[in-house]
Amino acid sequence: MITRLIALGTILFVFSAWPHHNMSATFDLNNRVTLTGTLTKFDWRNPHIELFVEAKGDKDQTETWSVEGPPPVFFRDRDVSKSDIEAGLGKTITVEASRARDGSRWGLLRTLTLPNGKLVSACPQNC
Amino acid sequence: MKLSPRLLIVTAAALCTALLLAPDHGWGQTPTDEKAERDRATAAAKAQNNAQAFEANARTLTVFDRQGKTVATVGPRAIYNTPVFSPDHKRLAVSKTDLDKENSDLWVFDVATGKAIQLTSSQSRESTNAPAWSPDGGHVAYVALRGGNFGIYQKASDGRGDEELLYKLPGTGTITDWSMDGKYLNFFSTDLSGGTLYALPLDAAGERKPIEVYKSPKQIQGGRFSPNDRFVAYFSNESGRNEVYVRPFDPSAGPGGPATRQWQISDQGTAGMAFWRRDGKELYYLGADRGIMSVSVSTAPAFEAGKPKVVFRPSEEIAISPGTASISRDGERFVIAVPPPRLRQLTILDRQGKVVKTVGEPGVYGQPGLSPDGTRIAATRTDPKTGNLDIWTWDIATGKGYAVTDSVWPDFSPVWSPDGKQIAFVSTREQYSGIYRKAWDGTGEEELLFRYTPGAGIGFSDWSPDGKFLTFSTGVLLMVPLSDNEKPLDRKAIEWMREEYDVFGGRFSPDMRYLAYASDEINSQSTDVYIRPFDASKPEAPGAGPVVRVTRDGARGFTWRRQDGKELYVLTRDWEIAAVDITTTPTLQAGSPKVLFKLPGPLVASSPEGVSRDGQRFVFAMPVTTTTASR
Repeated sequence: MITRLIALGTILFVFSAWPHHNMSATFDLNNRVTLTGTLTKFDWRNPHIELFVEAKGDKDQTETWSVEGPPPVFFRDRDVSKSDIEAGLGKTITVEASRARDGSRWGLLRTLTLPNGKLVSACPQNC
Repeated sequence: MKLSPRLLIVTAAALCTALLLAPDHGWGQTPTDEKAERDRATAAAKAQNNAQAFEANARTLTVFDRQGKTVATVGPRAIYNTPVFSPDHKRLAVSKTDLDKENSDLWVFDVATGKAIQLTSSQSRESTNAPAWSPDGGHVAYVALRGGNFGIYQKASDGRGDEELLYKLPGTGTITDWSMDGKYLNFFSTDLSGGTLYALPLDAAGERKPIEVYKSPKQIQGGRFSPNDRFVAYFSNESGRNEVYVRPFDPSAGPGGPATRQWQISDQGTAGMAFWRRDGKELYYLGADRGIMSVSVSTAPAFEAGKPKVVFRPSEEIAISPGTASISRDGERFVIAVPPPRLRQLTILDRQGKVVKTVGEPGVYGQPGLSPDGTRIAATRTDPKTGNLDIWTWDIATGKGYAVTDSVWPDFSPVWSPDGKQIAFVSTREQYSGIYRKAWDGTGEEELLFRYTPGAGIGFSDWSPDGKFLTFSTGVLLMVPLSDNEKPLDRKAIEWMREEYDVFGGRFSPDMRYLAYASDEINSQSTDVYIRPFDASKPEAPGAGPVVRVTRDGARGFTWRRQDGKELYVLTRDWEIAAVDITTTPTLQAGSPKVLFKLPGPLVASSPEGVSRDGQRFVFAMPVTTTTASR
């Protein structure tokens, strides 16, 4: 990934990945939330993955959060596949995310802890 | 086709490599074997990517005097960022990227001998950068990513002892200075939502809490304290372009302080950097035209500043940016992490790779493409003085150049219209990227064709032969129908292909029945070229029919511009141009890539239209030295 970024910045490689929207404009990287809850759904496609997590809110109410992550290839490079995420459906995961600036229950993934304990960091891209 | 012995060896080697790396789905191979094989191929591709990225990006730490004369080069070539002189300018602290480990660490070089020590030890996918020296040179502060969090750390500059966490950043930040009294670190955090300058008190008891020096809805960067710690210099785009400013610094006054006053130091824009001389009598910055600028200042009793003057301007061959240059405390030495030469010559090659003609003057060019009739070239051109990225065209016969665009916005990815009268291109204007078109000679007004989501980039690759579709990628391959009765801002991008893997660089076949694209479906470190049917009446998905894999050993790029559609040209991972026979009747089939010639090395070759319609001429932006040697 780091090679891709360097290549992008300097020699305009023939094939290049582009962010789908500006992360720091959409998400406040200084405002984080940690969610431990049930993985209910996910979308494992470009340009970025999306995880849906049901977690308890401040008043013990159930809240559904949507957390956006890097593209699937980012996880592929870290030996995490779609089947690893599928295996987590209905189970407890923990995500740390930067909250959306609009205050909605939407975040940008910083770290993901799978039910088997595997920790994946989306930094430095998402930090 | 006659191949040179060298090309034959290269081709044979490529074939052997292909045989060794090609997936074997024969008997006896288990899923474990397949995974191991895929992992080996991925590792091999990554090693090759890293080697080539290093060659293309490695820099030389070069020290200049006030006349712009090189007085020293320091250490070996490497991917350096943020070089900073020690207070006595005898050492340099610099961040060095390790592509294999995907991390970066700080190194301290002795300027005289080039000897270095590695100051920090990042784990894989951690980073360390933005060094600032303590006033006595005994310590270096820096920002590091450790365990998924950014923090401000310090370590003894001789490398002894452990690093000490000074402050855990809530998000991101960049250190730019350590105050002369040793009491504060200056850092900033900035993004599209605005920026803030902070001072981190180092002698406070208990948990350290940064002081907000200045906050703006615009971007702020590069804060540095005056030697008497009464003022802070920085640069900001609050006037619409980046300028250097100075404002008072009074940490006892609370957030923002009483400083409603600020002084603008630069008068023609800045590319960044703001350094104070140790005696506080001169300020330096990088001018918008790449000149190293100086301004006489006084900080006592009141602040006063003179007119900016050019100290020297690095040669046009040297790319310079705030992240790769700095100035010594005495104002006598300037260090630039000098990248490989960037001057290029637009060059027409034949099918054997021989130079047929050079066009225009050497310059900083990229993405060259030939017009449909083969008489003109379109390419990006970086202005050596302003750094602006624009679209230019050249008449091949006369060499005359035409500025299609001339703006401060970056304009790139030029694509010729099917009739050769216009150029479509991407322009990023504040938070929006859009596709525009303009007459090939720059006359008349530009026209917006499509505007995308705020903050999103556009990898524009083709304009359909019937003129009715644009295609671009974001890792997803999208289509923009260009119906006449729709306003540009109402046009929507349609997802043609959205998968778990990246799909890039769509190119229509000349008859518009197919679309070729690149994808990393098989190997995350390498892309291959594929073709699928395209149905203009259903642009929301590939048409019915099988997918054909065109390459198996990876490709850096390709184009499908020959008029009869019978050849597709591939840029291989070894920087060779190869032709692939394509037949579409009775069924779609692709032959094996046949190498035509090899390029001298990594080139900006990303034009979708770099080949003539008869497949006999290719255009590249060649390194000047190589071109000269070839003539």
